[in-house]
Amino acid sequence: MRNRLKVLRAERDWSQGDLAERLEVSRQSVNAIETGKYDPSLPLAFRIADLFGLPIEDIFLKD
Amino acid sequence: MAQDNAPVANHAPLLWGLAFVVAMFGTGFGARFAGLDGIWTMIVMLPPMLLLIPLIRSTERDGNFAGCSSPALKRYNRRGLIWSFSYVAALFFAISVNDWLKPEGPLLWLIAVLPALPIVYFVWGFYRYLVEETDEYLKMRYVTHALFGLGLLLIVATVWGFLESFKVVPHVESWMAVPVWAIGLGVAQIWHRVRGS
Repeated sequence: MRNRLKVLRAERDWSQGDLAERLEVSRQSVNAIETGKYDPSLPLAFRIADLFGLPIEDIFLKD
Repeated sequence: MAQDNAPVANHAPLLWGLAFVVAMFGTGFGARFAGLDGIWTMIVMLPPMLLLIPLIRSTERDGNFAGCSSPALKRYNRRGLIWSFSYVAALFFAISVNDWLKPEGPLLWLIAVLPALPIVYFVWGFYRYLVEETDEYLKMRYVTHALFGLGLLLIVATVWGFLESFKVVPHVESWMAVPVWAIGLGVAQIWHRVRGS
Protein backbone atom coordinates (compact mmCIF):
# COMPACT_ATOMS: atom_id res chain seq x y z
CA MET A 1 0.00 0.00 0.00
CA ARG A 2 1.34 3.44 -0.95
CA ASN A 3 0.75 6.58 1.10
CA ARG A 4 1.14 10.35 0.94
CA LEU A 5 2.42 10.74 4.46
CA LYS A 6 5.76 12.25 3.47
CA VAL A 7 4.12 14.86 1.23
CA LEU A 8 1.51 15.78 3.83
CA ARG A 9 4.21 16.07 6.44
CA ALA A 10 6.33 18.26 4.16
CA GLU A 11 3.36 20.59 3.56
CA ARG A 12 3.21 21.22 7.29
CA ASP A 13 7.00 21.30 7.71
CA TRP A 14 6.87 18.49 10.24
CA SER A 15 9.74 16.12 10.88
CA GLN A 16 9.07 12.43 11.38
CA GLY A 17 9.62 13.09 15.07
CA ASP A 18 6.97 15.84 15.05
CA LEU A 19 4.45 13.54 13.41
CA ALA A 20 5.35 10.67 15.74
CA GLU A 21 4.79 12.91 18.74
CA ARG A 22 1.39 14.02 17.46
CA LEU A 23 0.36 10.41 16.79
CA GLU A 24 1.89 9.17 20.07
CA VAL A 25 3.95 6.52 18.29
CA SER A 26 7.70 6.01 17.84
CA ARG A 27 9.57 7.77 15.05
CA GLN A 28 10.50 4.33 13.72
CA SER A 29 6.78 3.66 13.24
CA VAL A 30 6.32 6.80 11.17
CA ASN A 31 9.41 5.93 9.15
CA ALA A 32 8.21 2.34 8.57
CA ILE A 33 4.76 3.53 7.43
CA GLU A 34 6.16 6.26 5.20
CA THR A 35 8.59 3.93 3.47
CA GLY A 36 5.93 1.27 2.97
CA LYS A 37 7.62 -1.27 5.24
CA TYR A 38 4.62 -1.37 7.52
CA ASP A 39 0.90 -0.86 6.91
CA PRO A 40 -0.78 0.71 9.94
CA SER A 41 -3.79 -0.83 11.64
CA LEU A 42 -7.19 0.69 10.91
CA PRO A 43 -7.31 2.60 14.24
CA LEU A 44 -3.87 4.16 13.57
CA ALA A 45 -4.85 4.95 9.97
CA PHE A 46 -7.94 6.78 11.32
CA ARG A 47 -5.76 8.70 13.78
CA ILE A 48 -3.47 9.75 10.92
CA ALA A 49 -6.47 10.77 8.82
CA ASP A 50 -7.94 12.77 11.71
CA LEU A 51 -4.62 14.53 12.29
CA PHE A 52 -4.37 15.66 8.67
CA GLY A 53 -8.13 16.31 8.41
CA LEU A 54 -8.44 14.08 5.37
CA PRO A 55 -10.31 10.88 4.49
CA ILE A 56 -8.18 7.73 4.80
CA GLU A 57 -8.35 7.09 1.04
CA ASP A 58 -6.71 10.48 0.40
CA ILE A 59 -3.68 9.38 2.42
CA PHE A 60 -3.40 5.65 1.75
CA LEU A 61 -3.59 4.48 -1.82
CA LYS A 62 -3.94 1.07 -3.41
CA ASP A 63 -0.82 -0.23 -5.21
CA MET B 1 10.84 20.30 5.32
CA ALA B 2 11.91 19.68 8.90
CA GLN B 3 14.91 17.42 9.40
CA ASP B 4 14.06 13.76 9.87
CA ASN B 5 17.17 13.11 11.96
CA ALA B 6 18.08 9.99 10.05
CA PRO B 7 19.70 7.56 12.48
CA VAL B 8 23.45 7.22 12.28
CA ALA B 9 24.86 3.72 12.68
CA ASN B 10 25.69 3.20 16.35
CA HIS B 11 27.70 0.09 17.02
CA ALA B 12 27.88 0.39 20.81
CA PRO B 13 25.05 -2.12 21.56
CA LEU B 14 26.53 -4.60 19.09
CA LEU B 15 30.01 -4.26 20.62
CA TRP B 16 28.70 -4.61 24.19
CA GLY B 17 26.64 -7.62 23.10
CA LEU B 18 29.68 -9.18 21.47
CA ALA B 19 31.77 -8.47 24.58
CA PHE B 20 29.09 -10.09 26.75
CA VAL B 21 28.86 -13.26 24.63
CA VAL B 22 32.65 -13.60 24.29
CA ALA B 23 33.17 -13.00 28.03
CA MET B 24 30.45 -15.48 29.05
CA PHE B 25 31.57 -18.25 26.71
CA GLY B 26 35.24 -17.44 27.36
CA THR B 27 34.97 -17.72 31.13
CA GLY B 28 32.70 -20.77 30.80
CA PHE B 29 35.19 -22.65 28.63
CA GLY B 30 38.08 -21.31 30.73
CA ALA B 31 36.47 -22.64 33.91
CA ARG B 32 35.91 -26.03 32.29
CA PHE B 33 39.48 -26.09 30.98
CA ALA B 34 40.80 -25.21 34.46
CA GLY B 35 38.63 -27.96 35.98
CA LEU B 36 36.69 -25.60 38.28
CA ASP B 37 33.68 -27.03 40.11
CA GLY B 38 30.14 -25.61 40.01
CA ILE B 39 30.54 -22.89 42.65
CA TRP B 40 33.83 -21.54 41.30
CA THR B 41 32.49 -21.59 37.76
CA MET B 42 29.58 -19.44 38.97
CA ILE B 43 31.94 -17.05 40.76
CA VAL B 44 34.21 -16.47 37.74
CA MET B 45 31.16 -15.95 35.52
CA LEU B 46 29.74 -13.16 37.69
CA PRO B 47 31.96 -10.32 36.33
CA PRO B 48 30.99 -11.01 32.68
CA MET B 49 27.34 -10.85 33.80
CA LEU B 50 27.91 -7.20 34.76
CA LEU B 51 28.42 -6.44 31.07
CA LEU B 52 24.64 -6.75 30.78
CA ILE B 53 24.29 -3.33 32.42
CA PRO B 54 26.23 -1.32 29.78
CA LEU B 55 24.68 -3.54 27.08
CA ILE B 56 21.12 -2.63 28.09
CA ARG B 57 22.02 1.03 28.69
CA SER B 58 23.64 1.38 25.27
CA THR B 59 20.66 -0.39 23.69
CA GLU B 60 18.30 2.10 25.34
CA ARG B 61 20.42 5.08 24.29
CA ASP B 62 20.51 3.73 20.76
CA GLY B 63 16.74 3.18 20.84
CA ASN B 64 16.13 6.77 21.97
CA PHE B 65 18.39 8.10 19.26
CA ALA B 66 16.92 5.91 16.53
CA GLY B 67 13.36 6.75 17.59
CA CYS B 68 12.39 3.18 18.45
CA SER B 69 12.08 3.44 22.19
CA SER B 70 8.98 3.31 24.35
CA PRO B 71 8.17 3.30 28.09
CA ALA B 72 7.05 -0.34 27.79
CA LEU B 73 10.37 -1.30 26.20
CA LYS B 74 12.28 0.42 29.01
CA ARG B 75 10.26 -1.52 31.61
CA TYR B 76 10.93 -4.72 29.67
CA ASN B 77 14.67 -4.01 29.73
CA ARG B 78 14.60 -3.31 33.48
CA ARG B 79 12.82 -6.60 34.04
CA GLY B 80 15.44 -8.23 31.83
CA LEU B 81 18.18 -7.06 34.19
CA ILE B 82 16.21 -8.26 37.22
CA TRP B 83 15.62 -11.78 35.88
CA SER B 84 19.16 -12.15 34.56
CA PHE B 85 20.78 -11.33 37.89
CA SER B 86 18.10 -13.23 39.86
CA TYR B 87 18.82 -16.25 37.67
CA VAL B 88 22.54 -16.15 38.44
CA ALA B 89 21.86 -15.62 42.17
CA ALA B 90 19.32 -18.47 42.29
CA LEU B 91 21.67 -20.79 40.39
CA PHE B 92 24.55 -19.89 42.69
CA PHE B 93 22.37 -20.50 45.76
CA ALA B 94 20.98 -23.80 44.44
CA ILE B 95 24.42 -25.19 43.56
CA SER B 96 25.84 -24.07 46.92
CA VAL B 97 23.02 -25.64 48.94
CA ASN B 98 23.18 -28.81 46.88
CA ASP B 99 26.95 -29.12 47.39
CA TRP B 100 26.90 -28.43 51.14
CA LEU B 101 23.66 -29.95 52.38
CA LYS B 102 23.20 -32.78 49.86
CA PRO B 103 19.42 -32.40 50.22
CA GLU B 104 16.95 -35.14 49.37
CA GLY B 105 13.19 -35.36 48.83
CA PRO B 106 11.08 -32.18 48.71
CA LEU B 107 14.03 -29.88 49.55
CA LEU B 108 15.95 -31.25 46.57
CA TRP B 109 12.91 -30.59 44.36
CA LEU B 110 12.69 -27.04 45.71
CA ILE B 111 16.40 -26.38 45.18
CA ALA B 112 16.26 -27.85 41.66
CA VAL B 113 13.29 -25.67 40.65
CA LEU B 114 14.68 -22.46 42.18
CA PRO B 115 16.86 -21.37 39.18
CA ALA B 116 13.83 -21.79 36.90
CA LEU B 117 11.75 -19.21 38.81
CA PRO B 118 13.50 -16.15 37.27
CA ILE B 119 12.74 -17.69 33.86
CA VAL B 120 9.05 -17.77 34.82
CA TYR B 121 9.42 -14.07 35.68
CA PHE B 122 11.09 -13.52 32.29
CA VAL B 123 8.15 -15.15 30.46
CA TRP B 124 5.74 -13.00 32.50
CA GLY B 125 7.84 -9.91 31.61
CA PHE B 126 7.60 -10.80 27.94
CA TYR B 127 3.82 -11.14 28.23
CA ARG B 128 3.63 -7.80 30.09
CA TYR B 129 5.63 -6.10 27.35
CA LEU B 130 3.14 -7.25 24.72
CA VAL B 131 0.26 -6.02 26.90
CA GLU B 132 1.88 -2.67 27.79
CA GLU B 133 3.37 -1.75 24.40
CA THR B 134 1.07 0.79 22.75
CA ASP B 135 3.24 1.27 19.67
CA GLU B 136 1.88 -1.31 17.21
CA TYR B 137 4.93 -1.24 14.94
CA LEU B 138 7.39 -1.88 17.77
CA LYS B 139 5.13 -4.63 19.08
CA MET B 140 4.89 -6.27 15.65
CA ARG B 141 8.66 -6.05 15.28
CA TYR B 142 9.27 -7.64 18.66
CA VAL B 143 6.78 -10.45 18.00
CA THR B 144 8.55 -11.12 14.69
CA HIS B 145 11.92 -11.35 16.47
CA ALA B 146 10.46 -13.62 19.15
CA LEU B 147 8.93 -15.90 16.51
CA PHE B 148 12.29 -16.11 14.77
CA GLY B 149 13.83 -17.16 18.10
CA LEU B 150 11.06 -19.72 18.59
CA GLY B 151 11.58 -21.10 15.09
CA LEU B 152 15.32 -21.45 15.71
CA LEU B 153 14.65 -23.19 19.03
CA LEU B 154 12.21 -25.68 17.46
CA ILE B 155 14.65 -26.51 14.66
CA VAL B 156 17.70 -26.83 16.92
CA ALA B 157 15.82 -28.88 19.55
CA THR B 158 14.33 -31.25 16.96
CA VAL B 159 17.55 -31.75 14.98
CA TRP B 160 19.62 -32.16 18.15
CA GLY B 161 16.99 -34.48 19.66
CA PHE B 162 17.16 -36.87 16.72
CA LEU B 163 20.97 -36.70 16.62
CA GLU B 164 20.88 -37.57 20.32
CA SER B 165 18.44 -40.45 19.73
CA PHE B 166 20.84 -41.92 17.19
CA LYS B 167 23.69 -41.35 19.67
CA VAL B 168 25.58 -39.03 17.33
CA VAL B 169 25.82 -36.14 19.81
CA PRO B 170 25.93 -35.91 23.61
CA HIS B 171 22.89 -35.07 25.74
CA VAL B 172 22.11 -31.37 26.26
CA GLU B 173 20.05 -30.19 29.24
CA SER B 174 16.62 -28.80 28.35
CA TRP B 175 17.28 -25.52 30.22
CA MET B 176 19.36 -24.60 27.15
CA ALA B 177 16.00 -23.73 25.51
CA VAL B 178 16.02 -20.13 26.78
CA PRO B 179 19.60 -19.30 25.66
CA VAL B 180 18.89 -20.78 22.20
CA TRP B 181 15.67 -18.75 21.94
CA ALA B 182 17.51 -15.61 23.11
CA ILE B 183 20.23 -16.15 20.47
CA GLY B 184 17.50 -16.36 17.82
CA LEU B 185 15.91 -13.17 19.16
CA GLY B 186 19.27 -11.38 19.05
CA VAL B 187 20.06 -12.60 15.53
CA ALA B 188 16.65 -11.35 14.32
CA GLN B 189 17.25 -7.95 15.93
CA ILE B 190 20.69 -7.65 14.34
CA TRP B 191 19.25 -8.74 10.98
CA HIS B 192 16.60 -6.00 11.23
CA ARG B 193 19.30 -3.43 12.05
CA VAL B 194 21.46 -4.51 9.14
CA ARG B 195 18.48 -4.20 6.80
CA GLY B 196 17.95 -0.70 8.16
CA SER B 197 14.43 -1.26 9.40
